[in-house]
Amino acid sequence: MSKKPLSLTIVPMAVIIVSVFVIGIAGANLLGVWKTTNTKEPVKIKTGEFAGLPNPADIRGSYSWADIGKAFNIDVQHLLTAFMATDPAVKVNTLEAIYPKEILPAGMEIGTGSVRLFVSLYTGIPLAAEEGTILPLSAIAVLKEFGKADPGLIAAAAAKAYDPSAKQPAPSPVPQPEKPVKPAEAASAVPAASSTTVTTIKTAPASEIAAQTTTAKTTSTTAAGTAETHEVKTGTVTGKTTFKDLKDWGLTEEKIKSATGGKIGSDSTVIKDWAEPNGLTFSELRTKLQALLDGK
Amino acid sequence: MIIAIIKLSGARRKEMPQKTAVLKRKNVRNIRHIVQAAFFILVAVTATLSVLAENGIQIPIPDASLHAICPFGGVVSFYQLISTGTLVKKVHESSVVLAVVGLLLALLFGPVICGWVCPFGTFQEWLGKLGKKLFGKRYNYFIPKKIDRWLRYLRYFVLAWVSYMTIITGKLIFQDYDPYYTLFNFWTGEVAITGYIALALVIILSLFVERPFCKYACPYGAFLGIFNLFRIFGIRRNAPTCISCKICDKACPMNIEVSTSKVVRDHQCISCLECTSETACPVPATVQMLALPGTVQDSFTKKSETSEAAK
Repeated sequence: MSKKPLSLTIVPMAVIIVSVFVIGIAGANLLGVWKTTNTKEPVKIKTGEFAGLPNPADIRGSYSWADIGKAFNIDVQHLLTAFMATDPAVKVNTLEAIYPKEILPAGMEIGTGSVRLFVSLYTGIPLAAEEGTILPLSAIAVLKEFGKADPGLIAAAAAKAYDPSAKQPAPSPVPQPEKPVKPAEAASAVPAASSTTVTTIKTAPASEIAAQTTTAKTTSTTAAGTAETHEVKTGTVTGKTTFKDLKDWGLTEEKIKSATGGKIGSDSTVIKDWAEPNGLTFSELRTKLQALLDGK
Repeated sequence: MIIAIIKLSGARRKEMPQKTAVLKRKNVRNIRHIVQAAFFILVAVTATLSVLAENGIQIPIPDASLHAICPFGGVVSFYQLISTGTLVKKVHESSVVLAVVGLLLALLFGPVICGWVCPFGTFQEWLGKLGKKLFGKRYNYFIPKKIDRWLRYLRYFVLAWVSYMTIITGKLIFQDYDPYYTLFNFWTGEVAITGYIALALVIILSLFVERPFCKYACPYGAFLGIFNLFRIFGIRRNAPTCISCKICDKACPMNIEVSTSKVVRDHQCISCLECTSETACPVPATVQMLALPGTVQDSFTKKSETSEAAK
């Protein structure tokens, strides 16, 4: 004799579905896991000289000026002055309204990426800024007074800064250094609008800079001819670098794996995008890879 | 609790005159529509309040971004959550909670989220009503079966692509192509042009095909559809009492041939119960949602097979 099977009709189905949702959400709430917003705390750098410090690369557009000030121990007034903002409670993704693309040089942007760059230069915590990211001149004034990063890096950012008082928005002319400059300084001093191969501003501190970019040395003495500009990009790990680029620059898979902890992405994968899902911080990985490139 | 509710409803079922039965069928069918509308309103209000709050207009009602209340964000975050303990950008813990709720429901009843909860499925059903008025019986039968059958697997490619890209980039890669996101954010200026195109396509197709996005492109529907293969409660047809009127086939929004199945294991079933004896099927206790394992198989599959063989 077989038992009568359990049957389910529409009314109980409706009750069950709604109940499971209500109980699930209420239970998650009680356990403290029902979170519909970010904690506004950037992830911490896991290894290296800056281990334990908040990572500027993790600043999101949904953070307010006050959130950033708190997370990075920055005077909020400095942040507001730097970006000509007024309300500490306003989110940084509103920057694009203050600095619309139409008023900026082509390909340049003042947005959340600029805030990351500013925080990096202010605190001295390294960051690989995204291509086309620039700061307003007001931010440079704050950085010159309070920034903990290498003055050369701040000067490099100043060279590209946006001056709202200028009639025609254009980046500063190519700096022609009279004396040799630091490699990273030279790399970031390449003018934004003069070439399609603009490099990122690397805001590593002086101690790191010394170990970076061998090719950039060429640039420091030859200013910004197109060929030299290209040379700066080659061999410099940036936010756009792929695993194929590393291989093209002479790094073997084994060497790459030694920096990534045994893992490697496909050739076309952008290292920056690959790093976080694989438990690595890009800024640290970049430093390791750069050291390998410089030492090869 | 679930078993108690099921037993209670079973005990209350009685024979009734035909007119009352027809009325009851309509009312019962409306219950799903009410649940769908409730979830639609809930999602629309929550997402709208979130956008208003982002723009500095605070209303004293809890809000959450659309990403925070989308279970698919939780699904695509599983890998990153396990491997690094972090979530994909824009996804919050609440998405993971909802993904787990969705998983539990799918294990029990299949993709009920699609048939009862998903606001975008509801939106397509509403458009479908207009399509039915326009095309009558031809509605939902425009695409030849042979082509349609293969097109149904497209959504698994979408699922694979979205999952892979999300893992690689750590970002919600589908947002720019997601008509669901576009529907609730079209006025915010945060939607990519591809999102508008996708939504426009779905709106147009919904006038010809019921739930076109669910059938051919929804990655979350594809994921939940897999649970149709081993869900605990499923749609069963009692062959000995079936009169082969095929009303169940016509009632199915996903074009599943219920009339030829003993157990509906089709990956496209959305557990809407539109085909059951409570709604479409005119013969009592012929098409039902039943617990599938163990004794159930004996009482239906084997008996029906034996009786058919005896004939």
